[in-house]
Amino acid sequence: MPLELYYFLSITAVNILLSWALYLPYRVAHLHFITVANMAISGYAAAWLVMSLHVPFGWALLAGFVLGGLIGWLVSLFIGDAPTFAVVIVGFTFIFIARTVIENTPAVGGSMGIFGLPNIGGSPETHRATIMAILAAMLLLVGFLLHRFEHSRLGRAASAIFVDKDLAASLGVDIRGLGRLLQTVSCTIAGGTGVLYGFIYKSFHLDFFTFGLVGIAMTIIFVGGYSTPWGTVVLAPILYGVPLLFPPAIQEWRIVIYGAALVLVLVLKPEGFVTRRFVVSVESFLSGATRKKR
Amino acid sequence: MKKILGFLIAAALLLSVVGCQQPAPKEWDIPFLNSLTGAIASIGEYLEWGAERAAKEINDAGGIKGKPVKIVPVDTALDPQKGSTEMARLVKNTLVALGPVPEPVIMAAMPIAVEAGMPSITASTSLEYAQKFFPWTVSWLPSTQDRLAPLVAAWAKQFGDMKQVVQFVENYGPWPGMADAHAAGLAGLGIKMLDKVEVPSDAVTFGPLVVKALSEKPDGIVFACKPASAAKLIKELKSRGWKKMDHLLLFSSADAPDLYTTGGKDLDGAQIYNYINPDIDNPRWDAFKKAYGDAHGGQEPPSLSTNYYDAVYMIKDAIEKTGVTGLPGKLKQERKMIADYMANVQGFHGIMFDWDMKDGVPTNKPSFIFKIQDAKKVLVQEVK
Amino acid sequence: MMQELIAQVVNGLSLGSIYVLLVTGFNLLLLVAMIIHFSYPQVVVFSMYVSWVVLRLTGDNLLLGVLAGVVSSVVINLLSAPLFQKVMQKRGEVDINATMVLSMGIGMIITDVLSHSFNEGLPVAFPDSLSSNTPIVRLGLISIQTGQVWSLGVGIVAVALFFLLLYRTRPGRAFRAIAEDPNGARLVGIPLLRTGLYSYALTGVLGGIIAVLLAMLLGSATPGLGEQVAHKVLAVSIIAGLGNLVGGLVVGLLLGVLEAIVQGYVSGSWSNAIAFVIMLVVILVRPKGLFGTRL
Repeated sequence: MPLELYYFLSITAVNILLSWALYLPYRVAHLHFITVANMAISGYAAAWLVMSLHVPFGWALLAGFVLGGLIGWLVSLFIGDAPTFAVVIVGFTFIFIARTVIENTPAVGGSMGIFGLPNIGGSPETHRATIMAILAAMLLLVGFLLHRFEHSRLGRAASAIFVDKDLAASLGVDIRGLGRLLQTVSCTIAGGTGVLYGFIYKSFHLDFFTFGLVGIAMTIIFVGGYSTPWGTVVLAPILYGVPLLFPPAIQEWRIVIYGAALVLVLVLKPEGFVTRRFVVSVESFLSGATRKKR
Repeated sequence: MKKILGFLIAAALLLSVVGCQQPAPKEWDIPFLNSLTGAIASIGEYLEWGAERAAKEINDAGGIKGKPVKIVPVDTALDPQKGSTEMARLVKNTLVALGPVPEPVIMAAMPIAVEAGMPSITASTSLEYAQKFFPWTVSWLPSTQDRLAPLVAAWAKQFGDMKQVVQFVENYGPWPGMADAHAAGLAGLGIKMLDKVEVPSDAVTFGPLVVKALSEKPDGIVFACKPASAAKLIKELKSRGWKKMDHLLLFSSADAPDLYTTGGKDLDGAQIYNYINPDIDNPRWDAFKKAYGDAHGGQEPPSLSTNYYDAVYMIKDAIEKTGVTGLPGKLKQERKMIADYMANVQGFHGIMFDWDMKDGVPTNKPSFIFKIQDAKKVLVQEVK
Repeated sequence: MMQELIAQVVNGLSLGSIYVLLVTGFNLLLLVAMIIHFSYPQVVVFSMYVSWVVLRLTGDNLLLGVLAGVVSSVVINLLSAPLFQKVMQKRGEVDINATMVLSMGIGMIITDVLSHSFNEGLPVAFPDSLSSNTPIVRLGLISIQTGQVWSLGVGIVAVALFFLLLYRTRPGRAFRAIAEDPNGARLVGIPLLRTGLYSYALTGVLGGIIAVLLAMLLGSATPGLGEQVAHKVLAVSIIAGLGNLVGGLVVGLLLGVLEAIVQGYVSGSWSNAIAFVIMLVVILVRPKGLFGTRL
């Protein structure tokens, strides 16, 4: 695989996973920015395990997932059913705390960062193949779980909470329990994604995990469509890939274009480009086609 | 079957020979991975300007080995995602590159250049970052410990009343390490280094930090923080009655246009150290200064503006003195030749002075202490 | 020791007055238009830049500079009003959340435009006639400047005035009525368009005044200044109780003093983390804010 294609695909996969991690709690109206902090915490922790304790990458990745999930679960005990804005502030808080702790911890390179992460499997080729394989597996697994979730009672319960919490509660939906579950799963995905993100670059720097990353993920979700997980899959490669093809004069205004896209879509097409109705019609078309074949 | 196999082998051989004999390109393209948009776009602009200026001079003088040189700007927008993808695209065919800028993009993109064995000159970062990617880059700055300690000591020696010093430090990249080197220089003179005052990177007001510093009753103050923060700290110090302006020393990373646009006249009298001297008398530098002023409304060239100018000339020297041809078939070998040349170049003619490199580190670049007057630097002393 | 503490409290009140001003504007938009304008600080910073441009063009004519700041803020508010109104047509919680995301988009645009198109992305400095750093009172480490007094004074007066306007006058009640239930407001005879425009214009005027005060207090502005404080402004508003003007005043000042004390006595690089942890604890204990939501 050409090198630039590898970077394009692997970073796009990271952006999709991050966006899914944000999408999942947003199903119950929680904008959970803690995901970005968790990417940094798990990523740095895994890098430290590999570099300082010589733990094999697989175990470090697992530790990243577990750490992310653990933080997410602990926090969710307090904010499983909190109002949206409280969840937003908790996310910002964790980003500030994670940055401060990391930049003051010499064991993870402090303000300098972590350099020279080793190739997984010994050679650059196996490194890239492994990263791509894990990312592909994660995309398939998380995508499958999201698909199942959307068609489950839990998914419908989440939709009810999103539209009207009081109504959902009166229907017997466990708002706190579902909030906790989605926040924990979201943070678990983010933890693993953070580990992979750093290992793609073979280094960690605090500025890999900025509020800018939150902005990218938000644009992907809201322009792609926040009512299904599939808009993210369409928009992540477009948002990252198309500007790479722009002439420099237009590239210069990339962030303005992102911002304008976000504003225009929210105003003109509030559900984003890939809507729930569109997904349902595609699904019914596909199931009809399958039935005809039979 | 044998005939087909024979034909295929012959075709493959022919193709490989043709491949080796691909003609050298008609110009020397040097991509420059730079932050031309985003938060540090203003810095990216003058880094780019310096590189373009060198290319223009070289082309006016006949190019490199008779072929023109072209700087190809590649915007990484301060984004590691973009930086790594752009670097991955470039390493396929590029002989040598400039950048990336700044540290987060360097850390995301330089491992790709290292793996591909392509030299890329990161002339705007410190040795601490550059050395992680040796031999595929060189450091533009000497060792922090070796150079900064004597510099700060030379500043303190000017004054007999310097007994204790406080330092403002921002936790960014190599700056805490630079602050440690400052402290070591002062300790060597028996000057007491008081508590570090940590400057939050998103500080809006600076009163609390200045009160903390002044409550320690320092005789002098060293600044190792962002240019705009340093300027605001100095304004705040002055408003609280600080008079001994020459007892303030700013580190080299603060020597950027933000410092002067934010600080204005309030900076007058403060001292600053750096590695270039804008007052030297040399026709090449005079022409550079004039051209920069013409293109930037009369401004003085910022201290980093010459780095990539010199880097382009170093690439020119490497190509001319090692016999690099630019033939695609010799890409791997010629990249190595350029990297080796740059790592140990002797007597390189920089725009301000000549210098040598040893294993990728400059050995004899001078350093200077200046006094700031009317947003300009006036030489106080050269520090050997 | 005592002098240092007093100096740090004064510094804290000065920093807190910035939060108070911004959170008052933020809360006002919430009360009169029901929008979460997360990027309100970016709009204010944009007005600071417009002021700076006019000051430069007119040879530091203060009156024109101040007017330009106010007018630009009103114009931005009026231009963005239809966007926000379209997004939150149904007045549901989901729609109010969407206004926050819309505001983030506007913030991205403003910050990037400022870093491209003004002073080559470099910080802009305001003239001494507007932002003199000569103190009016200086006693050892304690120093009080004109900008600090104005910011704090205007912050307190603005909170009092808007509180009275919104809760004690007919036009104020009309603003809140159309924010909460436009159809109901129309039924009782409130002219929707005119009152809506007034409410956005009013918050715009406040934004412009804040821009001028920040120019006086800080003396300079950077493209990223709005982003730097936006998270804290939102945090202050939530901790005080969304839409609670008096709560915003108290919590804004407290946060400023807390940060000053942490920076002065504990650690500068940990000040954000410590401030946010304390705020986090408050949110976890009282999710509706210390003073209660006033929506």
